[in-house]
Amino acid sequence: MCADLQSLYRETLIEQSRNPKNNYVLEGANRRSELKNPLCGDVVTIYLSVSGDRIDEASFEAQCCSICRASASMLTTRISGSNRLSAISLAEDLIAFLNESDSVIFENDDSLQALSGVKAFASRIRCATLPWEAFQKAISD
Amino acid sequence: MIENLTPPATPDALKQARDDFPILSRTVNGKPLIYLDNAASTQKPQSVIDAANRYYSHENANIHRGVHLLSTEATAAYEAARKKLAQYLNASDESEIIFTRGATESVNLIAHSFLEPLIKPGEEILISHMEHHANIVPWQLLAERTGGRLRVAPIDDNGNLELDACLSMMGPKTKLVAIVHVSNAIGTVNPIEAIIAKARENGIATLIDCAQSIQHMRLDVQSMGCDFAVFSGHKMFGPTGIGGLYGKRSLLKRMCPYQGGGDMISHVTFDGTTFKEPPSRFEAGTPHIAGAIGLGVALDYIESIGIETIRDYESQLIEYAVNRLKSCQGVEIVGNPDHRSGAISFIMENAHPHDIGTILDTDGIAIRTGHHCCEPLMNRFGISATARASIALYNNSDDIDALVDSLAKVRALFG
Repeated sequence: MCADLQSLYRETLIEQSRNPKNNYVLEGANRRSELKNPLCGDVVTIYLSVSGDRIDEASFEAQCCSICRASASMLTTRISGSNRLSAISLAEDLIAFLNESDSVIFENDDSLQALSGVKAFASRIRCATLPWEAFQKAISD
Repeated sequence: MIENLTPPATPDALKQARDDFPILSRTVNGKPLIYLDNAASTQKPQSVIDAANRYYSHENANIHRGVHLLSTEATAAYEAARKKLAQYLNASDESEIIFTRGATESVNLIAHSFLEPLIKPGEEILISHMEHHANIVPWQLLAERTGGRLRVAPIDDNGNLELDACLSMMGPKTKLVAIVHVSNAIGTVNPIEAIIAKARENGIATLIDCAQSIQHMRLDVQSMGCDFAVFSGHKMFGPTGIGGLYGKRSLLKRMCPYQGGGDMISHVTFDGTTFKEPPSRFEAGTPHIAGAIGLGVALDYIESIGIETIRDYESQLIEYAVNRLKSCQGVEIVGNPDHRSGAISFIMENAHPHDIGTILDTDGIAIRTGHHCCEPLMNRFGISATARASIALYNNSDDIDALVDSLAKVRALFG
């Protein structure tokens, strides 16, 4: 297997894709956003339970590829129990990190760094950012 | 049942074909390119590439309006391409061929100029469940504008059109039947003869989407008896941005213009304008002259091999591909039509089509993944996407074998 492919499909990513965390409909969610990538038909729904400045719980449902599913699993794990503003800022940074070649923000972030393999595959970057964009939509609606 | 896994022999006329397509000698990710995304767009032979170069280097001028030599030559080359298309499709007259940007624009032209002035609220357009979005959305937009109604003929679990249901849906309210000849997503060849026959009995106009058949089989619009046929140049070895439609002259003559502008008028005053006869009436502005000439050269290329030779060889190759994929563990073919041409869609148990596509790409194999602009068809099969391999005249059994070998890697990674 070539190096780029190994970097894309790291064990952590494959594992999270096979056994995603928070992959359920969140009963009692007060924010919900569905986002579709019209180019491929993948669709992700993010559910949030937000009280004040805190995201109490986050979950997702998806019909999507391994990268998108792993990314949604990482997103919901990371933002559950976090501060609303820091989650918004994390999403902004991660989307920029995946889209911009010179960004190094996530070099030392072991879990989210697993997504960086998409940077070598321009056509797959949106697979990784879709859940984060859905989160942005959910939190701003 | 033991499937036939004997690779088809390449006919003499196709033995050198790969050499005619310069892109097929490039590498992708360090591997020789194996191009199996022909339903999206075919590659171009050197003769088509040279035609564009020659046109811009030696012949470039606007058409139908100059007295100088270049304009005369460009006009002659453009009109010669129209004549070649008319001959290829066996149209009764070259004025029955309209150049457009492709099949999508052709459908939109027919919607706007043919059907919109005719259809009344409550009247119907009949399509099938396997249509490309290009043969759905223009009719939905038309229905919204006019109060017309879009009806959809069902397909069965194998991806065959339910012909009896389709025929029974043609009634006094039906104004147009618009059906795909060959499904871009699952390769089904539809029984258009029976559909056109029933439509004609009932005085219903017919449009056949030939975007996925024109490069694979002989089309004779007179024996088909359809009123309109649409196609794209880039799917038949021609340039992008050019395509066209065939329309029966009696209908074209009655149709209103599609776009207004230069070259489509007889006479303009501020009080009003009169329009040229078809085909000029539907070709406002400077057309894609180099594209049309290139498309003509692509037709020359197809005819130099022989469309019957291409059809016979491809039908063996697609059968070989189906049988090889059937024997691939973890691969499920989507659609098992009675008659197939060009394309095979498949899914894998634990690997999403995009992951399949990415892994194949690292082996230099280009396939298409996604909904193939056929979301209703995907929904019919309860899936959101497939991986699709689609062939053209330059593919061979080695390409299919490489695809199967690469799919084993997908399975190794995703289980």
